[in-house]
Amino acid sequence: MTNLKAKSESRDDDDDDDDEAEGPDGGWGWVLVVALFISTSLVFGLMRSLGIFFVEFVQYFQESAQAISWISSTGLAAQQFFSPLGAALCNAFNARVVVMMGGFLAGLGLILASQATCLVHLYLTMGVISGLGWGLVFTPMVATVMANFTRRRTLALGLGFSSIGLSSFAFNPLFQLLVEMYAWRGALLILGGLSLNIVPCGALIRPQQRVKPPAQVDSESKSSSCGDVLRRVSSYLELSLLFERPYITYTLAVTLFNVGYFVPYFHLVAHSRQAGFSEYQAAFVMSAAGAADILGRVVSGWFSGLGHFRLIHLLSLWTGLAGLFIMLLPVSSLSGSYTALMAISLLYGFCSGALTSLVFAVVPMIVGVERMMGGLGLLQLIESGAGLLGTPLSGLLKDITGSYLASFMVAGSFVILGTLTMTTLPHYFSCTDPPHPQRRSLHDKDKGLHPELEQMNHKTAE
Amino acid sequence: MKLLWAVSALLLSCWRANASTAPKILTDPSEVLNQTSAVLSCNLTETTLPIKGTYWTHNGKVLEDSKSTEATAYTSLRLEKITHSSGGKYECVFLTEPQVKETIEVKTLPHVAAYKHSEHGNEKDKAMMVCVSHGYPLPTDWFWFKLEDDSQQPIINGTSDKYEIKSTPNKTTLTINDLSIQNDIGYYVCSGINEIGKNSDQIHLRVRSRLAALWPFLGIVAEVIILVTIIFIYEKRRKPDEVTDGSAPLKSNSTANHKDKNVRQRNSN
Repeated sequence: MTNLKAKSESRDDDDDDDDEAEGPDGGWGWVLVVALFISTSLVFGLMRSLGIFFVEFVQYFQESAQAISWISSTGLAAQQFFSPLGAALCNAFNARVVVMMGGFLAGLGLILASQATCLVHLYLTMGVISGLGWGLVFTPMVATVMANFTRRRTLALGLGFSSIGLSSFAFNPLFQLLVEMYAWRGALLILGGLSLNIVPCGALIRPQQRVKPPAQVDSESKSSSCGDVLRRVSSYLELSLLFERPYITYTLAVTLFNVGYFVPYFHLVAHSRQAGFSEYQAAFVMSAAGAADILGRVVSGWFSGLGHFRLIHLLSLWTGLAGLFIMLLPVSSLSGSYTALMAISLLYGFCSGALTSLVFAVVPMIVGVERMMGGLGLLQLIESGAGLLGTPLSGLLKDITGSYLASFMVAGSFVILGTLTMTTLPHYFSCTDPPHPQRRSLHDKDKGLHPELEQMNHKTAE
Repeated sequence: MKLLWAVSALLLSCWRANASTAPKILTDPSEVLNQTSAVLSCNLTETTLPIKGTYWTHNGKVLEDSKSTEATAYTSLRLEKITHSSGGKYECVFLTEPQVKETIEVKTLPHVAAYKHSEHGNEKDKAMMVCVSHGYPLPTDWFWFKLEDDSQQPIINGTSDKYEIKSTPNKTTLTINDLSIQNDIGYYVCSGINEIGKNSDQIHLRVRSRLAALWPFLGIVAEVIILVTIIFIYEKRRKPDEVTDGSAPLKSNSTANHKDKNVRQRNSN
């Protein structure tokens, strides 16, 4: 049994000399993909379907729609804000514990929300507590799945993220049914229970699959001096990444994507109505774009795994096309042709789904597998600002100019700007991937070796 | 005495003179009450001012189709089908210097509609039922009834803590506190009355027991606990040695032999 493991490890190591040392490409990894599927649907699918509750809240609490919509904004912002915290805790402790904890918090937040008596309670429970839970779940799950795959990484991510689209389809009618049968309090209670299903997903993470070696703790000096603690915390949070140009460039590009690429989902229906199409036609366009999104995620995940092209080139292709189609959307609907609108929406849906599979998979190529966890966390935090900026900006443009043309144009141009920013990454124009950056450990002489190899070297040196 | 007569005659003639030079609009009909269609007309009389055109407004909004540049003292507007949305204040405006206008009110029965025809609430919690009205004029009074055995029982505001009615001309809200499954399930009728008549709508209230949602919730929590237990037990049973891999020094020497093939040969011998 142990010899087999040794053989597989040596074979992997020979194949990917410049890759991360651990590279199983299947087996337990697929179980983790299922876990990612379930947990992502319970995080993002749930977040997207909370609109059902807003009608109930507006009536029950007698508040304005804007005050109610702050609940989901708080939840999303909390999820992205606490992502670096989740990443840091995973680096410090164990991904399994963090994800289970996050699942528990997410469920707890919804359960407490079912007992809310005023709007502030909802902000604190559904917003902050559940948001914290979601933040502790998403980044560690994504990083763990990525660590368990090498060539098929993007396919795994594509399959995992396809859950978002599928669950949005399934959850909307389900939540409506729950609210009708149990009133919103009962429905929230049941949703809290459903969210607790993230805990078994976290339990599936094997404890020894650590992405990076334990942080450099001088075992001799167990001093808890301020400088030591700060250094450890900053190494958990991977704050050093903020000073590296490739990472900053990539984060900036992703932020620019986020400003623009959600806009069609918010404004397409209203714009179609304004262009003269009926309610059902407009809604059908949205559903079709959503279906194309799911397809795009899986297909792009599979295609980029084939390895014909570099991930970064494929990502630029999808984002460039997505930006182009966003800009073409108003043109097609203004010309009055329904088929043109449907065609462009399908293409846009496909491209936006395709790029989501790749966005996270590129991060370990820029920062290395060991720092991937912290890199993802910081990326989520920084891109959250874009989300806060994007939709109000497009709403503002619509209010000023009176039509959605300007907001679509601006959104598309932001996405294309992000693509151009990505071209400034180092080694962009080379045809093969540059070697993965290895972690420069502070006091180990052998740089960037597998932790077991490090241990073995220590033992043989003795 | 004669002086008094003279002064009063002077005042009267002044007033008559003013009255006779002010333009007067004759409207036909003066108001429309609960009709399915009508023709509103305005006739501008007693004026020699030039008329540049006419138009109609509905509740302050100019009706584009009614604009005319004819210098005619008579203008009419035809309302084919009067519904609650076409009721309101219609004004005919004559473009003279200064403008003159007159209002014709079109009144209909109130249009009463419930926000949601099926409401639900939790036991011991509160439920709110809302009816809104559009049209002109808005209801002056709102009434709520509970349907019991085909008769309508009026609900009076303020008799007990149980019922609260808040009404504004275009919206009324009935709040029922401390819902009970025995008494409060059923149909409720909201009725709005204006000077023309009244209209009503029905809402069905369902009350769920507080614990109704608890059973599925406990079922899901039990499922989660069972899954987690199964996963942990499976892990402990299947590969007890893999769990401790990497931490036991003896084992790592024999397993993790990557590049150093010599070491591997030595260990296996």
